[in-house]
Amino acid sequence: QKTIRGTVSAKGDNSALPGVNVLLKGTSIGTSSDAEGNYQLNIPENGGTLVFSFIGFTAQEVSIAGKTILHVSLDPEISLLNELVVVGYGTQQKRDLTGSISTISGKDLALAPVQSFDQALQGRSAGVNVSTPGGALNAPPVIRIRGINSINLSSFPLVVIDGIPTYTDNLSTNSASNNPLSGISPNDIESVEVLKDASATAIYGSRASAGVILITTKRGNKGGVKVNFDSWVSVSNPYRLDQIKMLNAEQHIAVKNEARANAGLAAAYFPNYDANGNLIDTDWKDYFYQHNGFSHSNALSFSGGSEKTNYYLSVGYTKQNGIVKINEYERKNARVKIDHKLFKTFTVGTNFSFSNTSTQSANSGSTSGQTWDYANGPRLALNSEPNVSPYNNDGSYNVSPTGVLGQMNNTISANWANLAVVMDKDRFNSASSSIQGSIFANWEVIKGLNLRTQYGIDRLNVIDNTYENPLQAPGYFVGGRAVNVNRLNNRWNWQNTAQYDFTVATKHSFSLLAGGEQQYSQVDRWGLARTGQTDPFFTSAQGNFLNTLPNVSQTGADIGLQTENFLISYFGRVNYDFGKKYFATINFRRDGYSAFAKGNKYGNFYGASLGYSISDEDFWVNSPVSKVISYLKLRGSYGLVGNNQGINDFASLQTYSGGLQGDASTLYYYQSGNSNLSWETSKKSDYGFSFGLLQDRITGEFAYYRNDVDGLILDVPQAPSKGVPNPTSANSLPLNIGSMRNTGIELSIQANLIRTNDFSWKLNANVTTLKNEVLSLNGDNQRIINTENVIEVDKSISSLWAVTTHGVNPENGRRLLEKADGTIVQYDHSAPAASRWTTLEGTPVTAVTTLADGKNQGVALPKWYGGFDNTFGYKSFDLGIFLQYSGGNYVLNGTKAGVRDQRAYANSTDLLDRWTPENTDGSIPKAVWGDNISNGGAALSISENIEKGDFLRVRNISLGYRLPVNLLSKIKIASARVYVQVQNAFILTGYKGYDPESSVNGNSNIRPGVDRNALGQTRTVSAGINVGF
Amino acid sequence: FTDKLEPSPQTFFSDLVVFDTPERVQQQVNSLYSSSSIKAGAFLGGRYLIYNDIQGEEFINVKANQGSGFNVWNFTQNESQTGGIWDAAYKSINQANVLLKGLEDNAGKFVTPVFPENYAAKAEQFKAEARFIRAVSYFYALQIYARSYGAANGSSPGLPLRLTAETNSENNDLARSTVAEVYAQIIADLDFAEANLPLQYTDALNNVSHAHRNTAIALKTKVYLSQSKWDDVIREANKIVSESAPFTAATGVKHALEPSIQSVFASPQLTNESIFSLVFTNQDNAGTQNQLGFYYQPTGGAEYYLNPQGIIADASWKPTDERRKFVTLSGGNSWLIKYPSPTPYTDKAPIIRYPEILLNLAEARVRSTGNVDPKALALLNAVRSRSDASTSWTTASFANSGALLSAILKERQIEFLGEGIRAIDVRRLNIAFPKKGSVSAIEPNDPTYLWAIPASELAANKLVTRNE
Repeated sequence: QKTIRGTVSAKGDNSALPGVNVLLKGTSIGTSSDAEGNYQLNIPENGGTLVFSFIGFTAQEVSIAGKTILHVSLDPEISLLNELVVVGYGTQQKRDLTGSISTISGKDLALAPVQSFDQALQGRSAGVNVSTPGGALNAPPVIRIRGINSINLSSFPLVVIDGIPTYTDNLSTNSASNNPLSGISPNDIESVEVLKDASATAIYGSRASAGVILITTKRGNKGGVKVNFDSWVSVSNPYRLDQIKMLNAEQHIAVKNEARANAGLAAAYFPNYDANGNLIDTDWKDYFYQHNGFSHSNALSFSGGSEKTNYYLSVGYTKQNGIVKINEYERKNARVKIDHKLFKTFTVGTNFSFSNTSTQSANSGSTSGQTWDYANGPRLALNSEPNVSPYNNDGSYNVSPTGVLGQMNNTISANWANLAVVMDKDRFNSASSSIQGSIFANWEVIKGLNLRTQYGIDRLNVIDNTYENPLQAPGYFVGGRAVNVNRLNNRWNWQNTAQYDFTVATKHSFSLLAGGEQQYSQVDRWGLARTGQTDPFFTSAQGNFLNTLPNVSQTGADIGLQTENFLISYFGRVNYDFGKKYFATINFRRDGYSAFAKGNKYGNFYGASLGYSISDEDFWVNSPVSKVISYLKLRGSYGLVGNNQGINDFASLQTYSGGLQGDASTLYYYQSGNSNLSWETSKKSDYGFSFGLLQDRITGEFAYYRNDVDGLILDVPQAPSKGVPNPTSANSLPLNIGSMRNTGIELSIQANLIRTNDFSWKLNANVTTLKNEVLSLNGDNQRIINTENVIEVDKSISSLWAVTTHGVNPENGRRLLEKADGTIVQYDHSAPAASRWTTLEGTPVTAVTTLADGKNQGVALPKWYGGFDNTFGYKSFDLGIFLQYSGGNYVLNGTKAGVRDQRAYANSTDLLDRWTPENTDGSIPKAVWGDNISNGGAALSISENIEKGDFLRVRNISLGYRLPVNLLSKIKIASARVYVQVQNAFILTGYKGYDPESSVNGNSNIRPGVDRNALGQTRTVSAGINVGF
Repeated sequence: FTDKLEPSPQTFFSDLVVFDTPERVQQQVNSLYSSSSIKAGAFLGGRYLIYNDIQGEEFINVKANQGSGFNVWNFTQNESQTGGIWDAAYKSINQANVLLKGLEDNAGKFVTPVFPENYAAKAEQFKAEARFIRAVSYFYALQIYARSYGAANGSSPGLPLRLTAETNSENNDLARSTVAEVYAQIIADLDFAEANLPLQYTDALNNVSHAHRNTAIALKTKVYLSQSKWDDVIREANKIVSESAPFTAATGVKHALEPSIQSVFASPQLTNESIFSLVFTNQDNAGTQNQLGFYYQPTGGAEYYLNPQGIIADASWKPTDERRKFVTLSGGNSWLIKYPSPTPYTDKAPIIRYPEILLNLAEARVRSTGNVDPKALALLNAVRSRSDASTSWTTASFANSGALLSAILKERQIEFLGEGIRAIDVRRLNIAFPKKGSVSAIEPNDPTYLWAIPASELAANKLVTRNE
């Protein structure tokens, strides 16, 4: 007899593995490792071979050969096919899936220096397109699963956290973005599942049209207490700011005065000098963007479990600074998850989290609708004139008596705010406190039959504070303004399910689910605006102001909201497989939803799928093919789901509202609702296969998908002369009238390309294609133009819409444009208004307009996108290189129009190539004072400003080092990894603006691909440590 | 739980209950004068008046900002930019039509004990108010989107005449009625209003801010003047203008000129001279970039100053004239300070003042008699000498009726500077918009002379036609 002992750890992170089965081969002598991964076993003197096995890891056999100490590190299972995948109201083995589901491990999200996990989903999974609208902290990314699936309702996927649907979209009413998903600490996430096809999503029925994202938070496992500490620090910098180079003061004065002269006007721009006599030459970007914004994030968790109880506790704190001055994000969060076996067959549990987030921002211009703000920071950073200073020579702010940036020696003033004052004085803050929680009880009545009830709440309180100074616009007009807005989202959700898993005649496996769900949601939003600040001391709405306006936001919009909705549902699912070879799944759901019209409250939704695991057939197993293709499963699904996400809770009602007429009260016809309003439906089909090559060393999935969306709720334009009121979309009514289709293919591959003792190379790649086609709109109006975007039949939804330009006429420097009838016309802003538009021969013609003369200039949605993630391991080092790519789409570079505008705007160096009699092949039209047409802009959208949006981005490079276990064990540490990484290392793109992903219209389906003074993006360098005890 | 599937809003009324009490009906009538109807910032609560002033020759744009009327001022608006007034006018029209239908459909509810006795008569008065508002909306919209009545005797395209309540997605297509047909409807509505409106209300505020009988008559003088129907102007005006000076309205609200025009525009702007004004308060103001004061005050938005070559350069407008006090110098330019209240600019929007009736009558008399009409002269003198005691014209002051007409028109320019009348007069007379600053004259045949029928209407209404 002798004793052998050692430690079992996991290859990869070197963490100790408790509970590993250790067996002397060919005997019944065995034990299992303890909480620290240690084992000890008495064996016969002659030794033999030890077999180490553990779920999720490849079993390993090691010869004892005279050793008494034997440390082993186990390989995580190469094949991912045996993993459990979370599905709606349950889990399934990945191998058994017949629906289309992508899984993203929480590990891939936790280390990203972002505010919320959804920002880290970029490029991670096929079929999921995530784009960041700009560098403002806590701005929600735009997520599209298999394309845009609605026009007026939401195309943002349903997000479900541990079974309870939660809130998405920006919930702030001011310039500070507020993404409610940032309340979840990425460190708490075990996995993210993305449900894409009808089979996977139908169980969510009426909310599944845009796909579903399931978040599963971490739970404790049996074993001793595990402590994890994750911490990182980072610095963020704007990048590609110099993509847009502005003229210096001297050039500005020359160009503007030339434009004045070309319009027959006297010079208006003159040099200004500072107190030291130096020429004033202001780079306004310096007043807005900041460098080396510092952030840190810290998370601590405790988990563990016994036979009866599992627990997971975590706390976290992060504070982040971005690329804009006065932009700060902070989160404090805590989570408790416990389940406990009361009796052998009866389990109860709870899952509660609390988080507190706060985003402070300058006027970032990055929330929807801010593009044309007086005080939009990114716009002012470009368009403010370089020959004036934000400060007078006595140090005071350079602000005109009319509340705009002072003009100094210029005889003309720009009509907007002084950026330095905006940054110094104005404040926007949006803070959330969120309680998400649920309790459940589960009774296993007989083996395989589980009855479960779960009651959850999701209570989110958002408080927005705004202050705008009285020195200048927009606060100037009202003598200073402070606004407080309070929003409470309150939801309860009650689910009751019965799940029965059983096998008949050994090969017929069934898994049956039946359930019901009710969900009630309320939103209460109210607040007040105070105007007429009585003293600079008062900067909050609780201070002393002359006036009080109820329920008015910063922009004067009515923010009062008191609304509710209710969803009642019944659902069921049958999973069947025969011998793990033939699979079938049927899902059904019936939903009743309060927002729809009487008589149309209920809808039925379903999804069905079949799978055939051909590689499990004997003929396959026995053929040489199986040596190469070790796994092959064909699958297909079809179903019908619905969309109710984002519909106004009272959209089907005729309503009257109250108001004021002087001091009297009024009551007026407010909303002409649609009394036939019903669901949007989405028929999804999906065909594909999953495969494993070379003993599943390479696995992958291929799918062809098609979504036919019908009954799209469109705001169908009504003749304005009817005067029908619709508070959300003027002169239109919501009708179920449109249809469209998304088709494409998805391919994803996971490969362990190299795997030796010291070196490994793992590849995770995916690609998706997308083709959107609008099939029908309102019968008579086959085209809906939303400023610079168009929805028209047979074309991709919300393509870009602009007048086609043909450069500059070398003879006279005028912009050449194409009218709807194909004639080429030119524009001369210096001519009298009636004769500015002429043919090339000089005959006056009617004005070119975006609406009448625009053309479809190409798709705004990427036609292809994906990610390419390489992970290299060498001994204790790991290196990750994650590329993200996207393209085939066009972007309207509206910023370009602004920096070429010939009004009192600063211009970019593009103007150096303007047409002059000496430079007749100039690419920019002759500069004419006041010209806001020739270079496009709000008055005219032109194709000159539309650019390709293709890019390849090195989204992340990381380098990590795992500290040696034997060193750590001396200080009682189980594992530790230190790393550095660069987020957004660089981008390859031909796009001339800051970034082709930047967009100013956020989650909008109808106005994508518009970059107008959008913020640039952030490059972040971070360093961190993960320690496990 | 299933009753939760039928939630009713807690901040909005269902259409089924809004005629349940007299208070609710009264509130619906109040709304006719509010920003949900004609007082909309895009309409008579602000921009309509501003746009009609800045298209005239009296104002110079400062900021070249499209958001504050630059394109209107320089006549470069296109079809996608002319919809604001159209939409607002038709919103008011539909509000009036919906109320008219509601008053009919719910007549059965108007019984005791919830409603007072004889509520049916009250309902007729409310209908008169609704039809008055409908007439106002059609009249003002017609002035900018259609040729003047005089240009083709009313035969040119007018406006789509919407007279039924629109509450669903039907009836998009409707052709334009002729100018004459629209005028006929306006007159029909005003005749009904005159017959059913109260003589006056019990307080000054309502007398200024709600329609009463004289309001309807006053508007009729304006409507007939736009139609060049001089006899009708005279007939209507005589109902509220006494035979000789001091001119007053004999019945109803005792309209008359105030001794000083300064008191008309001084708070609270509730004199008998203001026949119809739209009311603003701190809580109920015109909103950003819609306020008269904001546009013209040098300490406000300072968007437009007075054209130094405009009426302020006219030598016959004497420096001592009280109305010159509405002009102030600032930064080398002259600015209009008729609307003096600071932000949030709570000055009432003047729609009709009594001097306009006097000048309407004067003009009609001169045009219909073809003489230097003595009463016309007396009316003109009443307006002029109220502010300029040193001027009192005699028949000898005018060589012929044309000279007197010119004087009357000039008096309108002076008296109503910044009150939204100038462009209406220009189009009514079918004359060119004079040159101002860098903007050339716009002849009546210029495509921008009239406002374009908005693209949104053209797109959704297959039967509507463009202007020329």
